[in-house]
Amino acid sequence: MTVVRLGLLPVAVAFAVFGCTGANVVVNTVVPSPLVEPLPLRVGVFFDESLRGYVHEETVEDHGDFRIELGSVQVPVFERAFDALFEETVALSSMEATDGVAAVIVPVFEELQFSIPAQTRGQFFEVWIKYRIDVFGSDGELLTSWALPAYGKSNERNFGFMEDSKGSGLTEASVWALRDAAAHLSLYFPRVPEIAELVQGGQG
Amino acid sequence: MRAIVWSGALRAAGVGAIGICAAALSGCVTATVQEVREAETGMTEGDRVVVLGRRHKTRSETETDFIDCVSDQLTRKREPVNVMSEGEFVDSVFPWFEPLVAPLEVDDLSHVISKPLVAERIDEIGVRYLVWIEGHTERTAEAGRLTCNVISGAIPACIGFLTWDNDSNYEASIWDVRTGINAGRVSTEASGTSFVPAVVVPIPIIARVRQSACTTLSEQLQAFLVSEH
Repeated sequence: MTVVRLGLLPVAVAFAVFGCTGANVVVNTVVPSPLVEPLPLRVGVFFDESLRGYVHEETVEDHGDFRIELGSVQVPVFERAFDALFEETVALSSMEATDGVAAVIVPVFEELQFSIPAQTRGQFFEVWIKYRIDVFGSDGELLTSWALPAYGKSNERNFGFMEDSKGSGLTEASVWALRDAAAHLSLYFPRVPEIAELVQGGQG
Repeated sequence: MRAIVWSGALRAAGVGAIGICAAALSGCVTATVQEVREAETGMTEGDRVVVLGRRHKTRSETETDFIDCVSDQLTRKREPVNVMSEGEFVDSVFPWFEPLVAPLEVDDLSHVISKPLVAERIDEIGVRYLVWIEGHTERTAEAGRLTCNVISGAIPACIGFLTWDNDSNYEASIWDVRTGINAGRVSTEASGTSFVPAVVVPIPIIARVRQSACTTLSEQLQAFLVSEH
């Protein structure tokens, strides 16, 4: 004789399918162009290798292996943000090819962390990304290194119980984190004193 | 049945109570709705409404399907409201309504719409009202046990009784973008009990609490926005 607790059956099925499988996430999104007044500067932007090919891999005890591939999506996110932020941006192939710009901006990926609801006893998938924006003068001197933190979350209740909520939740949280990075950059980067000085210098 | 109670200090307030014991195999849901009006509203041709969920808190958040439900229901009423989707709106005014950046108070909205680019874009897309929704539905109690036995001939047979209570609590704040003021708020509370009795075959009797909260809130919001007070 088999006894089944029906109240737990959906949970058991979902756990059997997705419980210990971790997730493999390839983030793909288009972050809109920020609606901000461009700064009157011509800047060069150089994308560091850390930004182009980043893949986060982590094993969470009892919850499997997680892989979040951010590499291909970060460059377009920063390109759109910088295109909106400055009157003119020049994509640089190397740090040496500065092409007469007022400054060279180098976004650098530093760190990604994530959590799943089972780890926090909450209902959110959360992603934290830490970037650093290095600004070099036209002479190659480092003017400032500005920390750019980004955060995104996704509610597990927004996914059906038979859906791969880990994959969908982490994808959505990553997308919100990238949007937050672009939002934070476009709203607060112009307030960085060294950038304000460059703008003043350019106008003077 | 709907009862309206007027609150002295507020310009207008309505309290409705709706008991819904709908079709067969649906559990009973009790929903109440309350309205507080602080300014005149009304819509002209071309005016659009956006229903937005608050996403800045780290521990609770309004379900996206509830936001979608309210948006959808506003377009289905007898006097339909022209609704722009949340996603389309936040993309078109990016980054000003991102979760950690969006204005929390109506005074902050004035700061955002004082930016010429933002004002121009909002004017272009025709958004007149922002409806911010906060709240969620949660299971407040559960009890009972249901067991299913596979008897001879591989035929399953269940016996037992499961029950659970769900509570919904949502509040919508209506901001008039054109005037930069808070026009008022509409809130709803709904609760209901679901049952699954089983004698051989389980019969789920589900109380659609969140759906009732959505319907009640949408009806009141529609009346709030469209009627000229």
